[in-house]
Amino acid sequence: MLFVAIFSLSLGGFLFLLTIKTLLSFKTTVPLEDKSKFERKGYLVFLLACVTFSIRMIVWPWFYFMLQSFVSEVPGAMCMFGVTQILPSTVTFLQIIKPISFFIMGGWLLCYYVDKSTSTAPLARKNLFFLLIVCGVLLADGIADIYYVIRMKPLMSVSCCATFFDVPLRPSAMIPQAIFGRNFQKILFIVYYVTNILLIALLFTSMSKKWVSVALLPQKIVLYSQYAIGIINIPVVIYTFIENIAPRLMQLPYHHCIYCFIGNGMVPVASIMLGLFVTGTFAIGWMGIIRLLCKNGEAQLITERLLLKVNNVSAFCFLASIIMVTIHLILI
Amino acid sequence: MTKKFWIGLIIVLIVALMGVYYQKFLKNPHCAYDGSPVTPIYEVDIVLKEKSTKMFCSIYCAAQWFKNNVTLIDHVIVTDEIRGNKIDSYMAYFVESELITNETNDNRIHVFQQRQDAITHAEKFHGTMTDDPFSLDE
Repeated sequence: MLFVAIFSLSLGGFLFLLTIKTLLSFKTTVPLEDKSKFERKGYLVFLLACVTFSIRMIVWPWFYFMLQSFVSEVPGAMCMFGVTQILPSTVTFLQIIKPISFFIMGGWLLCYYVDKSTSTAPLARKNLFFLLIVCGVLLADGIADIYYVIRMKPLMSVSCCATFFDVPLRPSAMIPQAIFGRNFQKILFIVYYVTNILLIALLFTSMSKKWVSVALLPQKIVLYSQYAIGIINIPVVIYTFIENIAPRLMQLPYHHCIYCFIGNGMVPVASIMLGLFVTGTFAIGWMGIIRLLCKNGEAQLITERLLLKVNNVSAFCFLASIIMVTIHLILI
Repeated sequence: MTKKFWIGLIIVLIVALMGVYYQKFLKNPHCAYDGSPVTPIYEVDIVLKEKSTKMFCSIYCAAQWFKNNVTLIDHVIVTDEIRGNKIDSYMAYFVESELITNETNDNRIHVFQQRQDAITHAEKFHGTMTDDPFSLDE
């Protein structure tokens, strides 16, 4: 982890400086004699970005593998939750920045794909600006990674996850209870299926124009509904997993620890279920980024094709995730 | 709907079924309260009225589960820490001492089949004899 963090941080730092330099010397028209040099330099920046981001995107699941590997070292830790009790603010920061970093890096790679597929690279300037933001997040993520790995010393005894996840006043129970009332677990479960099925239906609808017309809905409404339900779906899925799905699948009805669910090997496909949900949700966001940044006459056709592909990926991921959960709930 | 989409869904289906199969038939025993692996010397088995058994990693976990499900329980089997014998809880001696059996839940209750073993442990680790945490009042 430390090696990957240092390696990607140095690449990221170099990329950051190179991007600033390229942006400062960016010209929309380049003399013919400088064209080859300019293209090569631009190509190098984007290639470096692709390599760095590919490494950093793998770091997110890798981080949880690392936490899991520390479990046996930390006195009192039963799962990853125990490990997160050492340097808690740094771990919280890392757990927040890693999905953000994964999301915007994925978004940038897709925008780059659109730009690369055109002959005149009309989105190069936009991509460079976007790259600057992504590099900033990457640097923050990388520095936090290095700080955590160096400072993390499993010397103190930590508490078991049951003291946080299984108490009656746990946040994952209090928030849904405040919204749905006392019988919140049942309602939450129904809402989980409703939002996911609705989202899958909307994603399938936007797969073809014919389906949009069959659904009698303007395309814009379908798109905005996708975004809205996609956002609502995030807390719904998280709370349903903690409150309903994880305890049932672990066959521990009083244990609501999501870290035990993912890391303790009791449900071997738990990380696949959550991974599919994350990819599906991020794919909706990526479609938003593509629509926002890749508006260009020349790139229109490629953008449309890519949007369709990402839309299909999102629909597939949600459908696969819900199928996996349902099969487990029925058969276990 | 492309061919890839359907192939993907079939793969997902197979993976899900394999996961279920592993969980149902190949998995090692885990504590029925907190899911941690069960150490044989501290094992507690709660036998239910419908004849199935729940396995726990410590007295603490078993007692927590016991409190919530008293009506379902037939009897409780605990393990003697000295010899590893499985005995009915009403025949065992319980000692609460400074020695922790399970750091994750801070369990300090120890089980002995022989009274003398319990007294020796209590003297050695500054403990006191306690009541059976699994007594079923008729």
